[in-house]
Amino acid sequence: MFEFLKFPFIQNALIGGEIMAIFAGLIGPLLIFRKMSFMSVGVSHGTFAGIALGIFLGISPLWTAVVFAIGLGMFIGFISRTGKISEDATIGTLFAFSMALGIWLIGLNKGYHPDVMGYLFGDLLAISRMDTYFALLILIVTVIWYFWRGKAVTYSSFDEDFAKIVGVPVELDYYVFMAIAALVTVAAVKFVGVVLASSIMIAPGASAKMLSKRFKTITLISIAFGMLSIFIGMMLSFEFNISSGPCVVFVITTLFFVSLIMKWLRNNGVFSKR
Amino acid sequence: MSEFLKIESLSVLYDGKPAIENVNLELELGKFHVIMGPNGGGKTTLIKAIAGLVPYQGKITVNGMEIRKYRKIHSIGYLAQRGAQFYNFPLSAVEVVEMGRYRFKESSKTKRRKALRFLKEVEMVSHANRPIGDLSGGQQQRVLIARALATESQIILMDEPLTGMDPRSQSNFYDMIERIKEKHNLTIVMSSHDIGFTTAYAQNVFCINKKLVPHNEVVKLLNEPEISKIYGPNFRLAQHFHLPAEDDDV
Repeated sequence: MFEFLKFPFIQNALIGGEIMAIFAGLIGPLLIFRKMSFMSVGVSHGTFAGIALGIFLGISPLWTAVVFAIGLGMFIGFISRTGKISEDATIGTLFAFSMALGIWLIGLNKGYHPDVMGYLFGDLLAISRMDTYFALLILIVTVIWYFWRGKAVTYSSFDEDFAKIVGVPVELDYYVFMAIAALVTVAAVKFVGVVLASSIMIAPGASAKMLSKRFKTITLISIAFGMLSIFIGMMLSFEFNISSGPCVVFVITTLFFVSLIMKWLRNNGVFSKR
Repeated sequence: MSEFLKIESLSVLYDGKPAIENVNLELELGKFHVIMGPNGGGKTTLIKAIAGLVPYQGKITVNGMEIRKYRKIHSIGYLAQRGAQFYNFPLSAVEVVEMGRYRFKESSKTKRRKALRFLKEVEMVSHANRPIGDLSGGQQQRVLIARALATESQIILMDEPLTGMDPRSQSNFYDMIERIKEKHNLTIVMSSHDIGFTTAYAQNVFCINKKLVPHNEVVKLLNEPEISKIYGPNFRLAQHFHLPAEDDDV
């Protein structure tokens, strides 16, 4: 059953994937409770334009994607906070533009047309040892930020006016959070592709939200669900020879529906309330 | 009168249009001040200006210190309009109160201990670990008062905190405010539409409809001609009442 673990490429995929599950699990609940779930969809699709720009300019697509995603995240935040336009409306407009820009830039490459499907749906099994170091770097940045500013961001998510009054640097925290969320989304894109990244970011947190009313517990369940999904998804991918990214998303979605059923059962008195 | 909170020539513009104009007020320490006025008259704007949440022209001082400087050193207790918070947010009552301790350099253990003490003051310590969203509207307001107390501010601003509360809960709320005001020598500034209760409890009622209308004398306000200046010529004042305090759960 676990014989797939002996292959080095699977080991890299698992290490990288599990690290990704931790940082996505930390950030996902914050995005959900700030009502910014759609932000990860916008940034992940925006990343595609960054990747295409790197290919077009002949430089590493990863770094152009990082710059593009952080820029897009900050821009979405700026427009939303200053232009009196909702984040969702801004994202809905910008992500289609980013996809169009990406397709156009890739089309401009005469002769060399990279595998667009690879960028859209990713490939966990293609994760190299270097990619796991990249994931580790992002995990370190995310964990440091989380323990330093996570509580303050929770406060401003709960009650922004009061947070301002007690001295939380709400604006600065917001933009740094947007940058961190964008960075985490790029890493998810690198591993599971543009289309599936938002699933890794949001679904574990959304499932956890249905199972608990405590922020710490929600975050822990979110991380655990992400890690479990990566492991089971990889195992199913190996056993049934299916692409790993979609397999992981199938497991995440299954956990989402299991959580939904558990919530329904709890609300209907099947489990005794605490 | 020893003014504690002084507002001079205060104006706030939204999109170039005045929300409040040239407001001058002097509010005493340790008193319960109520702002009344019609919807859109500028009550919330005035409270937000004092809280530093909207830009303004004019001058606000606390004990002679410009309020922008004051806010860098001290917090101000603040309760937003009911329903403004994300009440399905996964924070427990005690975690919400800990928000008020953000500015204080103290250990998590001390923050928790003090937050529990403030919850005890509003008789909510038995609900400390319950998610804020599981509490009733009145209980949530008590937790938010504990959070305001946790800032150790001398000023508490409340923006229509009683909307949607039944009369019994309102009466209990006012009794609690009265008690904590006396204990901590707080200056409370609250906006409200409720003439009955506020005139029974407030020491200073002032009215705003873009500009300041009459203030200071509660009895004078109850004269229909005065009220009509604020709410229009056809306004008729309902009977006032004051419910005795009860310990039931709000």
